Amino acid sequence: MTQALAYSVFGIILFGIGLFGVLAIAHVVKKILAINICGVGVFMVFIANASTGASPDFVPHAMVLTGIVVAVAGTALALSLVCRINALEKQKDDV
Amino acid sequence: MIGGELIIDLLLGCGAVMTAVLCLTAKDLFQAILLFISMGLLVTLAWVRLGAWDVAIAEAAIGAGLTGALLIATRRQLNQ
Repeated sequence: MTQALAYSVFGIILFGIGLFGVLAIAHVVKKILAINICGVGVFMVFIANASTGASPDFVPHAMVLTGIVVAVAGTALALSLVCRINALEKQKDDV
Repeated sequence: MIGGELIIDLLLGCGAVMTAVLCLTAKDLFQAILLFISMGLLVTLAWVRLGAWDVAIAEAAIGAGLTGALLIATRRQLNQ
């Protein structure tokens, strides 16, 4: 059992946990957390497979860096939508 | 055989998986957010072990730090 194989297995497990969370949890913010956990699992498989060989492969590293930034942008959009929905529901309750 | 180096990797991976499960099963939202941030930091350590220094720095700063700040701000706004 090598280092890359161990981290690939952990990445797949993290993806599974995140997928289960997206499908099973009703709370919206926790659903966003579960999507982020899915993404971390995917990144872990990428980086683990880039580390095999004499020197690390930098193309997957660049892709994962881009992926982290895109994940944060998507999380920010989703959280702002959650805030807006919450504000609209409060307004509806007041009327 | 499992060498001494691989034990660190297995501990880091198990820690990340455990914090992910605890994060999704936590009752309190603030607790879930803190567990998510700690999972990000454990994954950062895992990427340092894999030789991906650039990705580790980006994950610590953006993945754990900025996302955690956004989540805490959202929780504060939801509780108002």
